[in-house]
Amino acid sequence: MPLIPIIMPQLGESIAEATVVNIRTQVGDLVNSESDILDVETNKAVMSVNVPCSGKIASLTAEVGHSYPVGTALGALEVTAEDAQRHGNSATPAPEPEVEIPAGKTNDATVKKEDIQVAPTVRGLPVPAKAQGASFISPRLKARMLELGLRASDLSGIPGSGSGGRVTVDDLEKYLAGLSKNRTTPASRMRIAVADAMRRSWTRPLATVGLYVNLDPLLAHRKISQPKPGPTLYVIRALAVALGEDSIAAGRLVGANIIHPNSIDIGFAVEAADGVLVPVIRNVDQVALKDLVEEYSRLVELARSRRLPPDTFENSAATVTNFGTFGLTWATPIPLPEQSLLLGLGAGRKAPHWDEEIEDFLPITEAELTLSFDHRVIDGGAAGKLLTRVASLLITPEAL
Amino acid sequence: MLLARFSEDRLSSLWKSGKIVGGVYLGRGQEALSVSLGLHLRPGDVYAPLIRDQAGRLAFGEPLIDGFRTYLGSRLGPMRGRDGNIHRGRPREGYLAMISHLGCMVSAVAGSLMAKRFHGDTGVVGATCIGDGGMSTGSFHEAMNLAGVEKLPLVVLAVNNQYAYSTPTTRQFACKNLVDRAIGYGFAGHTVDGTQLDECLATIGHAVALARAGKGPQLVVGTVLRLAGHAEHDDASYVDPKLREEKIAADCLRLAEEKLLAEGVLTSADLATMKSQLLTEIDDAVSQAQQEPVPDAGTEDWCALSSRHLVDGFNG
Amino acid sequence: MSITYLEAIREAQARALADDPRVFIYGQDVGEFGGAFKATKNLAREFPGRVLDAPISEDAIVGTAIGAAIEGMRPIVEMQFADFSSVGFNQIVNHAATLFWRTEVSCPITVRLPSGGNLGSGPFHSQCMEALYAHYPGLIVMTPATVEDAYSMLLEAVAIDDPVIFCEHKYLYYHLKAEALPTDALPAGKARIARPGRDATIVTYSAMLHECLAAAEELALDSYQIEVVDLRTVKPIDTDTILASVARTGRLLAVGEAFPWGGVTAEIIARVATEGYELLDAAPQRLNARDTPIPYHPNLWAAHRPTSPAIVNALRNLLRL
Repeated sequence: MPLIPIIMPQLGESIAEATVVNIRTQVGDLVNSESDILDVETNKAVMSVNVPCSGKIASLTAEVGHSYPVGTALGALEVTAEDAQRHGNSATPAPEPEVEIPAGKTNDATVKKEDIQVAPTVRGLPVPAKAQGASFISPRLKARMLELGLRASDLSGIPGSGSGGRVTVDDLEKYLAGLSKNRTTPASRMRIAVADAMRRSWTRPLATVGLYVNLDPLLAHRKISQPKPGPTLYVIRALAVALGEDSIAAGRLVGANIIHPNSIDIGFAVEAADGVLVPVIRNVDQVALKDLVEEYSRLVELARSRRLPPDTFENSAATVTNFGTFGLTWATPIPLPEQSLLLGLGAGRKAPHWDEEIEDFLPITEAELTLSFDHRVIDGGAAGKLLTRVASLLITPEAL
Repeated sequence: MLLARFSEDRLSSLWKSGKIVGGVYLGRGQEALSVSLGLHLRPGDVYAPLIRDQAGRLAFGEPLIDGFRTYLGSRLGPMRGRDGNIHRGRPREGYLAMISHLGCMVSAVAGSLMAKRFHGDTGVVGATCIGDGGMSTGSFHEAMNLAGVEKLPLVVLAVNNQYAYSTPTTRQFACKNLVDRAIGYGFAGHTVDGTQLDECLATIGHAVALARAGKGPQLVVGTVLRLAGHAEHDDASYVDPKLREEKIAADCLRLAEEKLLAEGVLTSADLATMKSQLLTEIDDAVSQAQQEPVPDAGTEDWCALSSRHLVDGFNG
Repeated sequence: MSITYLEAIREAQARALADDPRVFIYGQDVGEFGGAFKATKNLAREFPGRVLDAPISEDAIVGTAIGAAIEGMRPIVEMQFADFSSVGFNQIVNHAATLFWRTEVSCPITVRLPSGGNLGSGPFHSQCMEALYAHYPGLIVMTPATVEDAYSMLLEAVAIDDPVIFCEHKYLYYHLKAEALPTDALPAGKARIARPGRDATIVTYSAMLHECLAAAEELALDSYQIEVVDLRTVKPIDTDTILASVARTGRLLAVGEAFPWGGVTAEIIARVATEGYELLDAAPQRLNARDTPIPYHPNLWAAHRPTSPAIVNALRNLLRL
């Protein structure tokens, strides 16, 4: 009976190979197109390999724990002549089985004759296809962009007519020529600096979680405080205390390590003309709220007059921004490129709050806290825990 | 010959005191042969000496300082630092600068002679020297054959000094006598005892005259023993000590001196004066050469073509 | 009236002999017989005593030419096949090429090498040796691809005071014809845009020019405009013209008939990669013969060196990159 190969299927765009994790059948089994012949793993998802038609398994050459490229033959299926004609496409021959090398020649007793073309970078994860197409920037394009002061992110709005959808020099020139018909205002140095920071920040997967917090305790505390901390400062202190308890959320992922901050220094956003400055208060977790007021005011003043010394806006563990001052209720702020966290405070407003005890609504002043975080360092759960802790600290302001 | 011997002694000591970079090649023992050829050449002739022809070069007219300048690396030497030691010459004056590949100069001289023939020059001679080892090359063979075919007025002086570097003649050629090759090339063959100056002058003079008279190419094979190493870095310890007892090991210079004194052509006083004068000449030449500027890589014209507009452009 | 590439070479030699009494031709069978390819047909008779038969001694032939050049002559040496010049290689690269550098006396010899493959010529009658000679300082290496260039560049070679290795292509001898001899020409050292284009640049020389032009024609059917640059001389290489072309097209394919290691195509790519990196839209490519001796059988020979279908393929790949 004729044979057709059992082939490693195309498992997804840009997946080039997968690892066999389980073989569910054996030679001699009768199978059909619904049968799961074997299981392969790509990026934490396990998928099964099927055959195109009914037949009997004639051979299974794939081995558990080995990776094979898409299109490789993993075994052979005995089928009818008709089916062979319809489905017998050629496949890349499977790699040779393991070869024993006498000990002393290599550290391992055996050498895997893994596939010649594909070497997985991380075991079990898919290997991306060769970089070309839309993301490829040729030396020529790079040179032209350099001449014009453009960055890769500036290309995102340009449709590419080149190979694989990439942007060619012609595309770029046409686009720029088109732009000249628009009104243009020059971007200030501050604007460009912020643009650069945001571009770098955005290279990470950022996510945001939100939580409503009751501001009444904070407002009451404030009323009787002398000197008076601003609402932002309460949030700064609460965040610092929470991070002082567990700093992981403020960590940074570098390679395979999470780098924890040495001290809980918190920055806060101050609007200056055409940009945002972020002065930093040091060791906030170790200073009580009332003792922070002076430093906070000083920094705000310096920021507004653009006289911040450089050491006051470097190296903070996290940043707080109060966009509530603009009347905004909610936002997804973007953490600074060197940080993993940005905590935002929205505008306070009167809202009805269900009180279980009296079984009725009570008016409270509430605001939404939003915490943007680098999803490589923590997941939603940890972000939520941090935010919840901050909120709980804010409703007991006398402890701050 | 004395000048040649003294200059070479000087070169040797300069080398041993580290003043010379690269190899030093001496013609000690074959001065009689070399000088005889040089003396019989005239302006208009073409001469391509080889590595042991200090005597011949001086006889042909090379300024004494040329050799020292080339060895000591003076920028003012004929090769301007671009080549060294015995790889020197003044081609426009008919004095060719050898390349290291032995045998190659024979066809160059042949070509020069063909050019002179085109020009209608008559009574000219081309001369070159070669050793027992150099005669083994294909280059030599092709050139000899070609010169024979063209019947050029070429004189090839082959000095069999018994060794080619460390290789004795038993490992170098299979014929009984190197002069036997002449017949194969269409050359007239001559042999001479290289230790006897008067015989060298006579035989080589005769060969040159024959060539000049249009009697075709001439091969003269002279026999001596090489009285130095292949180069000064070689101690020649491989030389068969028995050879040193033989006639061929006699120093042609000493024999010539003895003969001149015996026949009353020179007195010892004359000889002493001559030697002292020559040594002074050498001293002057050496000290002059040593004070001259050396090549400067920064100001050097790094261009190998005379057609400057065709120089290839390389960036870095 | 039409004139072949070979006839152009003969005409150039006749003209050189007529114009300059210092010129003579030396090589095997060049005299009465007129040369193995008839490149010197009738010249011995027309110029008695100036077209001389040499023995089979390439070393001595070149050495003789050098010696004659030192004494003021302008010899043209005909090697019967480029492949045999390896016997005279030493005299060419160590004597002729070093003479001016070492002695300030220039060496105006011209060495004609019948180069390149022909049907059935096999490993020792087909070689392209320009890369070997170009490698040595002190030589000029010419690779004319057209009838006109064969004529004017040979005349220029004789007039140049330095040793010129003139690689004339045997296949073009009888296959290439022109209407008339040229009255003017680009100087040696300048490349020529044989076909203007926009989408990719081919840099090539000698017989490959015609294969490349055919390939460009085919791609024109798919609306690709391929620019073809004929180097004409491979030492020196006209880097400026090449870079200007790549600046226009952004893509480079270097095509040569010689063996793949090192060579003219490698040299072109090295220069463009170092001096024109930012002009490139894609990695520069090259196409050469296979890394084996040149086979004898026509089936094998056809697959050994680049032909226009192979060039078309290479271009399609290049355009996709």
